[in-house]
Amino acid sequence: MPLLDIKNLTVEIDTGSEFVKALDKVSLTVEKGEIRALVGESGSGKSLIVSAVIGAVPDHWIITADRLTWKGQNLLAMSNEQRRIIMRREIAVVFQDPTSSLDPSATLRAQLEESIPEELLDKGMFWKRNKQRREIAIGLMHKVGIKNHEACMQRYPHEIATDIAQKFMIAMALVSEPELLIADDSTRSMESTTKNQILRLLSGLNETKNLSILFISHDLLAISSIAHTMTVLYCGQTVESGKVQDLHNRPLHPYTKALLDSAPSFQINLPPKSHLVSLQGTIPTLKHLPIGCRLGPRCPNARKECVKVPEQRMLHHHSYSCHFPLHLPIDEQLEKDQ
Amino acid sequence: MIPVLEVKNLVYTHRVKRSIFKPIDEFILGPINFALNAGETLAITGHNSSGKTLLAKSLVGAITPQQGSILLEGKEAKQSDKKTRNHDIRLILQHSKYSLNPAITVGSILNRTLRLNAELNEKDRKTKIEQTLVKVGLLREHYYFYRHMLSDGQQQRVSLARAMILDPKVIVADEPFAALDPSVRSQTVNLILDIQQELGMAFVFISQNLGIVRHISDKVMIMDKGKVIEAGSSQAVFNDPQHELTKKLIDSHFSLVNKHFEHFEQF
Repeated sequence: MPLLDIKNLTVEIDTGSEFVKALDKVSLTVEKGEIRALVGESGSGKSLIVSAVIGAVPDHWIITADRLTWKGQNLLAMSNEQRRIIMRREIAVVFQDPTSSLDPSATLRAQLEESIPEELLDKGMFWKRNKQRREIAIGLMHKVGIKNHEACMQRYPHEIATDIAQKFMIAMALVSEPELLIADDSTRSMESTTKNQILRLLSGLNETKNLSILFISHDLLAISSIAHTMTVLYCGQTVESGKVQDLHNRPLHPYTKALLDSAPSFQINLPPKSHLVSLQGTIPTLKHLPIGCRLGPRCPNARKECVKVPEQRMLHHHSYSCHFPLHLPIDEQLEKDQ
Repeated sequence: MIPVLEVKNLVYTHRVKRSIFKPIDEFILGPINFALNAGETLAITGHNSSGKTLLAKSLVGAITPQQGSILLEGKEAKQSDKKTRNHDIRLILQHSKYSLNPAITVGSILNRTLRLNAELNEKDRKTKIEQTLVKVGLLREHYYFYRHMLSDGQQQRVSLARAMILDPKVIVADEPFAALDPSVRSQTVNLILDIQQELGMAFVFISQNLGIVRHISDKVMIMDKGKVIEAGSSQAVFNDPQHELTKKLIDSHFSLVNKHFEHFEQF
């Protein structure tokens, strides 16, 4: 049984005049001990999935799903208290913008010590508790690679650099020893040495503690170095998902292919200053969503069939949603349809 | 050949006095030396807070360096000479979202730039703006658009248009791609490469994405704590880094790339 199982999750957002499907039948699973990457451009609804999972969406938005379960328990039917207990101990989230999601009015020490659950302190006398908390906090800071903890812990969130804040958020998330860590764009705005450090930390935790990670990013290099499986999201629709290797070696959806080709690091033989592969146009805004397959207007292979939403199809644990996948020649497909 | 932009011994000291009891915080940038020919791209990279943005600001004249000189085509560009400075060195900022005036149309943003820096009449200005918009891949109609009506990629194009509308000799771009998504980013990279080839501009380009740095730059300069720790042609630096920190930066980037190709071969 997968840890987190999302099947056909649809989130409808109130834009004032009408409801818009910001997420349209998104499916995603995270198995025990797996690092699943979620790739998508900004505005594709990555963070919305996180909000839907942790329950941080306004009440008047409509959330429907065939399945939204955590270890078999339906998250949507749960009371707020039950859900909060799961969020407190089993799922941890590292939010996108670390400096603004920390409490600006408290020092980092206060915030980290507050987040240590009571159960982790051994049942000593009450005056020993504070010392224990401090030791756990310092241990965590070292674990995520913040060396001078003293200087860092007395500061307020606005006084520290973004990459340190990011590491600190990871420390805070790890304090309750969760089973699933949701890392929302954790390596953004980091230079490559710090990024490597964070990636090593995450994959190390995955190996030693069997921690499952949902790694949300658009940095394909980082993803291909740590993730096992990946799901590509475009404009609120799941486009393709499968093993990272399979997707890299044989992308079936035109969007995945364009995304992979757009990174110059993946192409060794690319001469310097030559053109990069890119799709025309940009991701549509929520108010102007195309019907059917949302990649339609930008897709190089689009045909008139593309105004219908493509079904999700499977090919050796590799699922894709496209009428004209890249492994089949287009003419053959048309003949088959006729 | 006389280089388009030459920087000699540029030093900028930033001092902050937080309290009378504490010592003054000091950040010294430089001394920095480099020369850039027309049509070349210089990439500046390094850790956070290594003084890259300060260097960009002092190149365009947003801050005044204490020492050193900036030579444009062999002639010294004085700080007080705003006319040539503003005209010949232009800046693109990281977040074009915040660097465009939300209250006026794209057309008036570009028009102001022209009115202040070039001697053209109204009609010529309008044709110039339309030409530039087309050149950066926008439409003539975008003249009447406001900032919020454009997507991220289009906003980036507008700031590029604002930078190149005066036909500058040098464009300084501070992390122009960091805020963009992969597919839009490669569009913008292509656009910049095209424009550079067509107009032969020199580019100073600040970025942390070593993949793109290697792809588009001719020269690289790596900075740490305000000092230049390594500089040279991109090929030489990427193939044979000398300084400890450069090695670390490049290794960590390529270890990710190599991991990716290991995956590839397993298949």
